Amino acid sequence: MGLPPLSTAQLDNLTTSNLSPSQLFETLSHYESEACLATAGPGSTDPHMLSSFYSSFFIVHLLTDQVPEARALTQRMPETLRSQDPSLQNCMTLLRALWQTQHAQVYRILRDSPWPETLQPLVRRYESFFQDKTLIAVSSSYEAIRPAVAAMYLGLDEQAAEKGDPSIIQKFTAVGWTWDAEAELLLPKPIPTAATDSQSSNRIHEAMGMLGGRGS
Amino acid sequence: MTVSLAELTAASARLHNHTDLSDELYDDRIRDLVAYFRHLLSTDALSTFARDDFLLDNFDPSADSVAFLFILRSQIQKAKERTSENLPGDVWPTGKLWIRAVHFLKNFDRVQARYVGQEWRQLVELAGRAAQAASKPLLGARLVRDAMLRLDPSCAVFTSTHLLLVRLCLRARTYACALPVLDRHICYFPALVGRADSKAAQPLLCSEQESSLAFMGDASGLSSKLSSKDYLQYFLCGGMIYMALKQWRKALHFLGIVVSMPIAGSLSMIMVEAYKKWILVGLLEKGKLCPPPSLTSPHAAKMYQSLTRPYITLAQAFERDDVGRLKAEVNAAEHVWSTDNNTGLVAQVMNAFYKHTVIRLGKTFAALTMADLAEQALPWPTTEEDAESIIASLVMSSDLGARLLHSQKRTSSTMLRLSAVSHLPRLSHEMEMQVQLRNEGRSLKTLMSNLEQSNHQLGLSDEYIDNAQKNQLWAGSGEIPASEQVGLDMDEDIMGDLH
Repeated sequence: MGLPPLSTAQLDNLTTSNLSPSQLFETLSHYESEACLATAGPGSTDPHMLSSFYSSFFIVHLLTDQVPEARALTQRMPETLRSQDPSLQNCMTLLRALWQTQHAQVYRILRDSPWPETLQPLVRRYESFFQDKTLIAVSSSYEAIRPAVAAMYLGLDEQAAEKGDPSIIQKFTAVGWTWDAEAELLLPKPIPTAATDSQSSNRIHEAMGMLGGRGS
Repeated sequence: MTVSLAELTAASARLHNHTDLSDELYDDRIRDLVAYFRHLLSTDALSTFARDDFLLDNFDPSADSVAFLFILRSQIQKAKERTSENLPGDVWPTGKLWIRAVHFLKNFDRVQARYVGQEWRQLVELAGRAAQAASKPLLGARLVRDAMLRLDPSCAVFTSTHLLLVRLCLRARTYACALPVLDRHICYFPALVGRADSKAAQPLLCSEQESSLAFMGDASGLSSKLSSKDYLQYFLCGGMIYMALKQWRKALHFLGIVVSMPIAGSLSMIMVEAYKKWILVGLLEKGKLCPPPSLTSPHAAKMYQSLTRPYITLAQAFERDDVGRLKAEVNAAEHVWSTDNNTGLVAQVMNAFYKHTVIRLGKTFAALTMADLAEQALPWPTTEEDAESIIASLVMSSDLGARLLHSQKRTSSTMLRLSAVSHLPRLSHEMEMQVQLRNEGRSLKTLMSNLEQSNHQLGLSDEYIDNAQKNQLWAGSGEIPASEQVGLDMDEDIMGDLH
């Protein structure tokens, strides 16, 4: 594959591109060897470029829902970079919040931490991904939920939600939830996740046929 | 004897544009070319090019794989002789021969490589060794994995390269990198391949093959000699990779293969280590002490019991729902967990205990309030809010099949409905099921085609079983601790410091 060499400019191109998370992951995986080699010789390293690479790769791990592997990535980074670089420090704090399922903290880190300008597009993408993923999980985990708690899960204004702010309530009703104004509760409706393959039914039929046909 | 660049390129060019050739002719040409280069190597004819840094620029590894590989091999050999080092500097990452090796392994022609199996494998092994020597196992892991998948996308025949890959991935802590190989089913061993039907007509190596079995036999050189220890280590390391990724079900499957390995006398240390992890992973995945797989002999099962006493006691405390005793067992055997590199797993078992306590409560109660749960299921003094946060994360991650219900009155406790899952709309479950069934269907298809191939082999000769038994020169049990044999000191709880 003819990828251009790893550079800050190339990373900027990737982070602002429309590539899917899995494509980004694949591309950055190829660059990890280069990053690994860039840390080999003393004085040969561009810390800014390495910080940018590892931070981007970390966020792309999260975008592809690979939290344990993201943790492994933090262990593969050069120790000095991990302990000193502010962007990677943000990544470590984010990882801890995710691992402890502290939703409010996750949104705070994503929104308020000083992420480098070049990383902002990926951080925004991840925020949106995390919000969608949480919405799907809350929709099937709660039968009834107080607006403030729902707002906390989705990184919305909890105080406004508690007061029944129509603009916040509307965000939930727009995805099929019901608002019980009298009880002041939101009634979530599970959101079906799309099957990845349109021909899945045929394949299931094949699989079932195979299961049935081999017994004889 | 000397040879010119023009002669080398002309010889290799005979393999170009092979699509116009019949399989027989193409096969003949590759074999002739391999014989030609082996002769050049044995007569030292390539030594004139040993220090020619640009010679390989004249060959494209995707079209001239045989020539490229032999010339590179010759240059590596000369570098070794020159420096009297097994791994000369030029072979280390960023060295000029390393760069050539990477270029070859990323671009070689998979058909030509079948004819130079031994040379191909030795180059892969050299790259793995060089990466480790330079403390950059990550470089080796990716390279080895991609080369394996390039040569045989099915990875259905177990080779020594499989073991090299998982070791590199564990050392580099790049666990997901191993998955494209680990997730594929191993259906054959090279030692058992291609002997029973040796009298039958062998298909041409260059022909389109339904199964990699046809070109990955013992004689191919694509794997070094394997022993039972290699086989056990692969599945133990694979299990550890799945553990690091928290894919407990798959980890259990891999560990089960090690645990149920047939034995003649005593258990190997690798098997005992696998059984210890089997117990802990069983608690994490199923919330109970899983008996050894049904294939395990009663004799082996008894030995496991006596050799893993602290683990069994821990699991029994877990099963009896006795948090006090569980904590006491965890503390009492701290040195055992630490010596066995299982401290992280044991910590996760403690966390899993609360999840399984809630699941057990669900068998008795249809619904519970957070106040009840905080009192009955969670061991430390917990506010209702904290209890809800813990339980909600279990429900939202699908670890716990239940639903939460806030009440109208703000002062009332949140309810956990443990029998509520069946009320969920069926659509999303059906979609998940569809994806799972599709994946299982693919696996079954692969397994069935390989099973048919095995049946075919078995049907060819009555001597097959005898032959296979002779070839299974399983080594005896190891005396060295398994983790040392594997060469890893890995704490599999990669999230340990995040709890």
